[in-house]
Amino acid sequence: MLNDHAHDTDAASPGPTTPVGAVTPDAATSADAASPGPTSPQAGRFKVAILSIAHTHAHAYAAALEARGDVDLVVSDPEGYGEYRTRPGGRLVSSDEEAWNAWPGGPDAVIVTSANAHHRDQVLEAARRGVHVLCEKPLATTVADAEAMVDACREAGVVLMTAFPVHFAPAVEQLRTAVAEGALGQIVGLTGTNNGKLPGGRAWFSDTELSGGGALVDHTVHLAEILDSMFGLPRTVHAVANRILWADTAGEGAETGGLVTLTYDSGMVATIDCSWSQPKDAPTWGGLTLQALGTGGQMHIDAFAQHVGGQGQWHPYGPNYDALLIDAFLDAVRTGEAVEPTGETGLRTVRIVAAAQESVRTGQPVTLEKD
Amino acid sequence: MPHQDPTPSRGPAAALRVGIIGTGGISHQHAPGWLELGVDLHCYSHSGADRFAEQYGATVHGTLDELLAAVDVADVCTPTPAHAEIVHAALDAGVDVVCEKPLTLTAEDSRAVVEHAERAGRHLYPAHVVRYFPQYAAAKKAVENGAVGTPAVLRYERTGAAPGQDWYADDEASGGIIMDQMIHDLDQAIWIAGPVSSVYAQQFAGTGPDLVRTGHVVLTHTGGAISHCRGLWGPPGTAFRYTFDIAGDAGRLQYDSDGDPAVQLDAVASARSQGDGGYLPDVSSMRSPYTEEILEFTAAITSGAPTRVSAADGAYVVEVSRAALESLRTGRSIPC
Repeated sequence: MLNDHAHDTDAASPGPTTPVGAVTPDAATSADAASPGPTSPQAGRFKVAILSIAHTHAHAYAAALEARGDVDLVVSDPEGYGEYRTRPGGRLVSSDEEAWNAWPGGPDAVIVTSANAHHRDQVLEAARRGVHVLCEKPLATTVADAEAMVDACREAGVVLMTAFPVHFAPAVEQLRTAVAEGALGQIVGLTGTNNGKLPGGRAWFSDTELSGGGALVDHTVHLAEILDSMFGLPRTVHAVANRILWADTAGEGAETGGLVTLTYDSGMVATIDCSWSQPKDAPTWGGLTLQALGTGGQMHIDAFAQHVGGQGQWHPYGPNYDALLIDAFLDAVRTGEAVEPTGETGLRTVRIVAAAQESVRTGQPVTLEKD
Repeated sequence: MPHQDPTPSRGPAAALRVGIIGTGGISHQHAPGWLELGVDLHCYSHSGADRFAEQYGATVHGTLDELLAAVDVADVCTPTPAHAEIVHAALDAGVDVVCEKPLTLTAEDSRAVVEHAERAGRHLYPAHVVRYFPQYAAAKKAVENGAVGTPAVLRYERTGAAPGQDWYADDEASGGIIMDQMIHDLDQAIWIAGPVSSVYAQQFAGTGPDLVRTGHVVLTHTGGAISHCRGLWGPPGTAFRYTFDIAGDAGRLQYDSDGDPAVQLDAVASARSQGDGGYLPDVSSMRSPYTEEILEFTAAITSGAPTRVSAADGAYVVEVSRAALESLRTGRSIPC
């Protein structure tokens, strides 16, 4: 979980709000409702299904979709969490099957926000049905699953994107630009932190059967994606992990602290602190920082720094990264062309997590094979 | 780690005769502490001894042996490769020793000087000055008082401009950025989270003078905690900065030297007093930690008072640093 903050609820969302009653869900208005295969709404409304709200980011995505005003939204809640409140533009169903069949020709796109281990089957189903898909991070719990998902979507000709909202943070964009333009000289090292509380309200996050692991799985990939977007795949991955934080509440075998060190062919070294080390009583969920050290100076970014504070207070402001992600995804659905962060990018970050897990098991760094 | 039993006391500090060996950069950080104590100051150096003597009112000696024959305490401020030989010579001369970090360049040499001090019944203190920085001392006290519960994930960062002197850039001579700069933070991680079972290190090190270097070291502590230390020798003008983050199961402590200055200058004022970055931190806003360590070492030497760092601590962090260098060489995680 990354941005389990005020963006998760529409009440505090700083994005555009939709006046009540301004949107009239009307599936019948879609002209290509019955056409098979990937649909590309050239104009008009998007038919989007959110499959499961097991990952609480589903709420943020639902709010962003509803706020656009051009989305007919169906949310499935097969696990019965029961928290999703239908709002103008949205309706709730109790199974994925109902969501798939909510429109005569099926949805244009789905967003998969189930427990990590369930991503694979739902994405494969989307590919089979010819439906574009945005999948919550991590893309999968194993490299084999992630590869199968990427392959299936490519063969089906559907868009597969991975939900990394921080990709769209202006601070991250500024860092990418600075690195690309050489403003910091040659980058020699980076340190990233993506610390949070133990994800609350959802025991599956640290149930390794469903999550694939603990903090290494949950909090390595956002920074891995940002690094990937600047530097590509690392050469080696080393990781250490422990289970001291939240020892009483985290699921059995789920690591709660972790340090992942990556090396690159250039000699550059990067370390990611993926620990769930935000104290329980902190006023915000956690954060994401990245410092880049170059021969021409340093740049430090803090993607969730923007807030109004005070004693025990944290009131975020600024762009809604979830909404920016949703906008990018629906643009991709419209054009039929995936944009970053793609499924392939998600796959590369899964490879890094898998290598980190192997390193924890063996105690030694793991060398990644280049494609 | 326990330190050796106090050896016979030297009596009042003001009557102490102290010899600074090596009058380069760091000796000027040590000198004020000795002056504050009112000791009888002596010095010996390959170069710059006369200037140092004039500045601090010290007596210059022409040879190391001559200096050692004239003092009660030796304060070794030479480049690291000379430490071991000088410490042995001082102990042989029956002199107590304060020695800049790293204690010596190798684990074997460090063990040898520690054993020599024990055998000789003399004090030996490695100048791990960061233990005397008030921020780190406050964190240590807080952790001991349970502020974070059990430490779990620790991060330390140290940033400065690349040192100008050539010997620092020579990894054989200085041990490189890990042994010279990051050793402070390795020592901190060990101070807070205990001894380590494995070390993994990576660095980016350009070659030649003035090239930027960065090192990352990950420690796994025998108690279960994990630590990340990151050092940077940045381009000219890089401001000195140090941070730490100690997360435990009952709380978290964070410090950033950039974040809580007691004195701040606006852009206009700072442009008028522009420094050029630094290899050493600015300690003008606090009681000099160098003076603090000199006073504590002197109290131990004169009256047997306890110190927060022992010779064994200094030797242990050299051992861990050498494991890090071994990791750099092999690309492997090294058991300790």
